[in-house]
Amino acid sequence: MSGTMLLVAFIAAINPFRSRGSLPETPTGNARVAPVVIGGTLVVGSVAALAWWSGPVLRALQITPETFKIAVGFVAVLAAGYAFVVAVPTAEPELPGWRAGIWPVWYPRLLGPEVIAMALTAGASNGVAASTGAAAVAVAGLVALVPVRGPVPRRLVVWLGRILSAALVVVGIWLTIDGIRDV
Amino acid sequence: MLGTAVVRVAVVPAEVCPPVTAAEVRRSIDAAAGWLERGVQPDGTYLYGYHRDTGVVQAGYNEVRHAGIVMVLYQAYAATGSAEALVAADAGLDRALGQLFDHGDWVAWAPPGEMTSGGNGLIVAGLVFRRQATGDHRYDDLMRGIGRFLIAMQFSDGSVSSDWRDGPTPDHSLYSTGETAWGLALMGQEFPGEGWGEAAVRTIDYMVTDRDRAEGRFSRLPDHWAAHALADLRPDLLTDARIDYARRLAGYFSIRLRFESQRLGTGINLWVRWYPGTPAGFGTAGEGMGALRHLAVDDQRLADLVGGMDDRVVCTAALMVDRQITPAEAASGPHPMLEEGAWFYRGYSQMDDQQHTITSLLEALPVLEAREAGR
Repeated sequence: MSGTMLLVAFIAAINPFRSRGSLPETPTGNARVAPVVIGGTLVVGSVAALAWWSGPVLRALQITPETFKIAVGFVAVLAAGYAFVVAVPTAEPELPGWRAGIWPVWYPRLLGPEVIAMALTAGASNGVAASTGAAAVAVAGLVALVPVRGPVPRRLVVWLGRILSAALVVVGIWLTIDGIRDV
Repeated sequence: MLGTAVVRVAVVPAEVCPPVTAAEVRRSIDAAAGWLERGVQPDGTYLYGYHRDTGVVQAGYNEVRHAGIVMVLYQAYAATGSAEALVAADAGLDRALGQLFDHGDWVAWAPPGEMTSGGNGLIVAGLVFRRQATGDHRYDDLMRGIGRFLIAMQFSDGSVSSDWRDGPTPDHSLYSTGETAWGLALMGQEFPGEGWGEAAVRTIDYMVTDRDRAEGRFSRLPDHWAAHALADLRPDLLTDARIDYARRLAGYFSIRLRFESQRLGTGINLWVRWYPGTPAGFGTAGEGMGALRHLAVDDQRLADLVGGMDDRVVCTAALMVDRQITPAEAASGPHPMLEEGAWFYRGYSQMDDQQHTITSLLEALPVLEAREAGR
């Protein structure tokens, strides 16, 4: 996958606009910085680890990277459809303090099935550094959305999240076609 | 978890490629060629098909497939030096030589009721392999004559008539276009400077640009004959557009081969992947990939595909060696010698099942030998 497609794929999969909708917040409505940074760092680390282990994982599954790409395309389309319909993720109970970065920010908010699958296929085709870099850009986008508050900006973020969900559908279809064409 | 299970079972079942060695592939080729050799009839035809469950030999014949068997037996002889393969190929060729039609400008093989471009393309291919393997040049004039027939079957846009009936009919058939292009490309190898390669590219370019749309197909045809034509085309004729077509073909063959390696034919897998495919169908994808691998090894523009292609042709060989009927398995059947060395699809084997699979195994041999030698 090209560098641009890789970036779009991770931004659409992590979907910072949609994820912003259910981050732990301060009483003023800003997202809490520490959990976002911790959760974001953990998801970038997770992507790096999955990309690093993509070869052994796919070998253990007895799946070629090309065929796995087709499966990732299916997962991406399904996840994108759900994200489009449920534009704001369900609020989860939070662990206290910084631990909220682990639950619910890292998991289940950011490390969804589509991100896991994307990390494995991107690791196999684009390598660890490129995959991690693309995930880091997506997380940086989420961090940039920490100050968003107020009804209009929040609704704008929700609708931008829907656009990214649509982009994930396109990415999923592209991955499926690319997996079919790959040798 | 449920979603993961569904994706695993329905979308990405495990791709199973058993271990295989070059020696096993060689034995498999010999066994399959043996099935064809035992099937030579007194009139020079070959055993067409066999139902192992009922012990019934299939009636009927297909002349284009006859030419395919002649061709693959010469391929097998060239690769293995088997005298039996040469004798069996020559028997089929002798039959064809007795059915020639001399038009004056060209010569064509014309079995009763038909004079096809596809059959003549494959006969020329067989003659090229025979010439290369034996050094016997006695059929050179005949090859040129049939080559001129193939050109006579080409239309100005590069498309190819499937049959001659007082002239080229406007009909096309699924594979005759690629078979014609391949025959001409091989002629270009054997007789450089005579314009055969240039004639081949007219039809290759038709396949690259217009064929599927013009002939009313919804999707691109994964044409193994086109792959052979590209692989055997003179290197200076391999433009970027033709190389791009080769890349697309490799993708079609690859998904077919990967899909096949997911087929177990049992349990839930049977419902999501059905039975292991017809040996002829699987074999065509394998031989197409093998042909393109030759091209990729020689052409830097496809060099990034070589590793994947190697894996696919080896996996194909491994699966086919595994699925071939062994002497022990054949012994329990009503006619063991009509089973041994063959590949069956749901109880039936046809001569082209052996033909395409032998070619795909021949394509895997150099890859396995290189791997075993640590290259």
